[in-house]
Amino acid sequence: MKFISNVMNFFPNIFRKIVLKRLVKKIANRIQNNFLDDFLELLLKMVRLVSCVDKDFRRNIEGFNARYAFKSEDGKIAASAIFKNNKMQVLTDEIKDTNITVIFKDGQALWKFLFSGDPDIFEFILQNKLRYTGNLNYILKFGYMATHLRLKFGL
Amino acid sequence: MATIIFKEIQKDVSLSDYTLDSLLLLKELREQHFQTKTEICIERAKYVTEYMKESEDKHEPMELRRAKAIQHYLANRNILFHDNNLIAASTTSKLIGAPLYPETIGLTIWPELYTISTRKAKPQILTREEADELNFNIFPYWLDRTILEVTRKEQNPSSLNLMEKIAFFLAGKSTVISHTTPYFEPVLNQGLNTLINKAKEHEEALKKQDIDRETEGKIIFYQAMQIAMQGILEYSRRLSEKLAELAKNESSPEKKQNFQIMSEICARVPANPATTYREAINSLWTCEVAILAENVNMAMNPGRLDQVLYPFFKHDVENKMLTLEEALTLTGCLWFKVADNTNPVPETSEKLFGGAGSVPAVTLGGVDKAGKDAVNDLTYIMLKITELLSIKDPNVNARYHYKVNDKKYRDRVCEVIINTRAIPALYNDVSNIATLENQGVATEHARDYAVIGCVELGSAGREFSSSSSILFNLSAVMDLTLFNGKRPFITGDQQIGPETGNPEDFQSFNEFWEAFKTQLRWLAQQAIDLNEAFAITHQKLYPTPLLSCFFDGPMEKGKDLIFGGARYNSSGATHLAFSDVCDSLNAIEYAVFKEKKLTMKEMIEAVRTDFAEHNGELLSYLKNTVPKFGTEDPIAVRNSKNLVKLLYDFYQEHTNYRGGKYRPAFWSMTNHAGIGKISGALPSGRRAYEVFSSGITPASQRTPELTPAFIAVAELDSKYIPGGVALNMKYTPEAGSEERKTYLKKFGDMIEGYFKHGGMQVQFNIQTYETLIDARNHPDNYPELIVRVSGYSAYFKDLSDAMQDELIRRTQYNLLTGKAVRLPESYNGGE
Repeated sequence: MKFISNVMNFFPNIFRKIVLKRLVKKIANRIQNNFLDDFLELLLKMVRLVSCVDKDFRRNIEGFNARYAFKSEDGKIAASAIFKNNKMQVLTDEIKDTNITVIFKDGQALWKFLFSGDPDIFEFILQNKLRYTGNLNYILKFGYMATHLRLKFGL
Repeated sequence: MATIIFKEIQKDVSLSDYTLDSLLLLKELREQHFQTKTEICIERAKYVTEYMKESEDKHEPMELRRAKAIQHYLANRNILFHDNNLIAASTTSKLIGAPLYPETIGLTIWPELYTISTRKAKPQILTREEADELNFNIFPYWLDRTILEVTRKEQNPSSLNLMEKIAFFLAGKSTVISHTTPYFEPVLNQGLNTLINKAKEHEEALKKQDIDRETEGKIIFYQAMQIAMQGILEYSRRLSEKLAELAKNESSPEKKQNFQIMSEICARVPANPATTYREAINSLWTCEVAILAENVNMAMNPGRLDQVLYPFFKHDVENKMLTLEEALTLTGCLWFKVADNTNPVPETSEKLFGGAGSVPAVTLGGVDKAGKDAVNDLTYIMLKITELLSIKDPNVNARYHYKVNDKKYRDRVCEVIINTRAIPALYNDVSNIATLENQGVATEHARDYAVIGCVELGSAGREFSSSSSILFNLSAVMDLTLFNGKRPFITGDQQIGPETGNPEDFQSFNEFWEAFKTQLRWLAQQAIDLNEAFAITHQKLYPTPLLSCFFDGPMEKGKDLIFGGARYNSSGATHLAFSDVCDSLNAIEYAVFKEKKLTMKEMIEAVRTDFAEHNGELLSYLKNTVPKFGTEDPIAVRNSKNLVKLLYDFYQEHTNYRGGKYRPAFWSMTNHAGIGKISGALPSGRRAYEVFSSGITPASQRTPELTPAFIAVAELDSKYIPGGVALNMKYTPEAGSEERKTYLKKFGDMIEGYFKHGGMQVQFNIQTYETLIDARNHPDNYPELIVRVSGYSAYFKDLSDAMQDELIRRTQYNLLTGKAVRLPESYNGGE
């Protein structure tokens, strides 16, 4: 993962944008086909990539130190993100000592939460589609970043 | 007898000659009010955050940091005048603004920063620049500093998990304390300069003593009070300067003169004592704006305005300095100022609970501290303004003492309700004063009570009430009892409450009642524990030195309100689904144990499956045959009284962190609709996802007669409901002008009878099912339709679908026959 990140740093923005475009297409394809198992990992990678190519979006992770874990109730889907030193690291499993761990019913629930255009955590809690342990404010910030991506890429 | 100075009012308390066409400024402001879209105002969040960041490493006591942060905001906020209102100060820099309090729940709109302006449910305008300011500079600072998260991190109370499931209880302190009525007489009569000097004198006197930790705390508090009040003076000085500048550049002579007068007023008050009605109004409102800079704008009540402002009004009238038209105009201007703010709300909250505003309550009439008739000219002027403007805020409440107040006053209040179709709400002085006395409030202070927010009672300016500390879902207790400590509909198979036994094994209703009591005590204890945990965080991080300047107690004691500085202290716990739970207890007692219509096993299964197998006969039986709260059936009467007493006994056993008692209440704002829409079925026959009944109101469409419904509520004994009640009644409007006199008399007599039986409060919607259904289907045709929800007023179009549905379904009574009108069979809830 670190190797890929380092390689990416050598690419000029134009290549990053191409990679990003493919990633967006891939995510859109996953969504269209209702195949969401690796959606979360792709999403986090997308966040990372956008933060590289988009100056405005990058400000979201500048000075932001946080550890997020996401997993489905059945444990089939899990991914984590570590924000540190103005960078973002994506992991394909659940990490410990998080600021927030989000446990969602299934991939569909997480997708809807982040990209339905109505990213209101309380609705998802009420519907038992999502629960969390840790600091709620961190998921609110993540919700903001997801909305930013949705609007920017028309997801 | 009421004291009336103006001959016009003596002749006609309705002031029929005055209309919006004769009060043109009010007409203009009203049109502007309804045309204005709500905007989010980030200024408070920006300046408070700025100061808190700057002072992070200064190791100052939090009392001083908070005071300085608020001072920083008041000294730097934009000074803008959007309209021709005669009062200078404004809550935000927007015409109708939603200030942000990031230390409480401001961050909940974070995910919506780019969409909140365009969302379907009640959009609130926020520019891209403001959104970026919040996202990059303001919200990140508060990530780990909100009340909720600091409490979680430092105390992690187990009850927090339960609250975050939403459907058990909510502890209000995670979002707001407020819910109280400040004391404005000292600032109006003495001015802030005098109050600042008093705080300074206390500080200096303490410095001459041996300084132990307690004394040091008091010195810091007095310093913080001075800083906070200096912030208000700085704001007022800037208002004055800006107005002088506007006057200088204004070409219209009329506007120029008005700016000059306003500038002069702001230069004098609140620094100095008010000398005129206009100065008093400006002084009071400037201080209220400052209070909202420190405290969340939720139920921070102006209080008994017809009493507080009366000496200034009287002085002006007696000295021929104020005409009736001017008094009406100034009062109307104050009404628009009180309505200049609302709350930022996340979309789901808006969908579920939408329509509530900041609920600033104004209280009129009743008796004075000596127990004499307090109704005066201003009472009638304020009633007239309420009638003419018919806007949702302020939340106007009329007190009525049937042994002291004139019938003329009572009938005028009823007339305003009929004309506005909703406002004001009515309060029974006889019951409410006795109820407060029973809580240890001195008689003269109890007589000077003001309504807090929705319906709560508190001695104005003396009692830090925190009346919305707990919002408790009684249906959760019913679930936990039926399912032996579990709530299958909400939390699946998780054991939540204590195991009180499988009700299938219970041999009597008494066994069920005992299990219910155990579950209730356990769950209510969780709510209290969480309230106390949040209180510790408030004390540590968010003291209230500015609000403390406007209370009887803190100046004398040298103690912030949050530490118990007020003369009286209490915490309120209100309860949802009262009638639904009473009717469920009735169903279990009557249908299962008395009539043996079904077994407990069958009842539990029916509830679990939302009556899937029993749609016809059982539901009809539960709804139509089983005793209902709101009738004279002895089972229903006993169970409702037992439930009220159970709650009273439990809460009164508990003393809060400020040394006051917990007070049970029954009001629900819109929560009975929102929480109802996510809750499962109940033994009463209420099906899953149906809204709960509101406040203490008998369940909709279950009580066919008006009088027993009133009596059932009235006889619950107000002594056991010190937090207050919201009784919502819906009447068919009068048929025509011929019927009006009879209608008005019956209206007043019915209230009088209810109050004589002990009823505490009642509020009305004078609407038919058909009108409300049409308003739901064609909202554009009803832009100004105002309704009473469950303690406050709202525009029908702004309410959530659930709340609109609840209002439509509320039993409509024909006042003249006393019978319920049938809900149209074609109505299906818009589904």
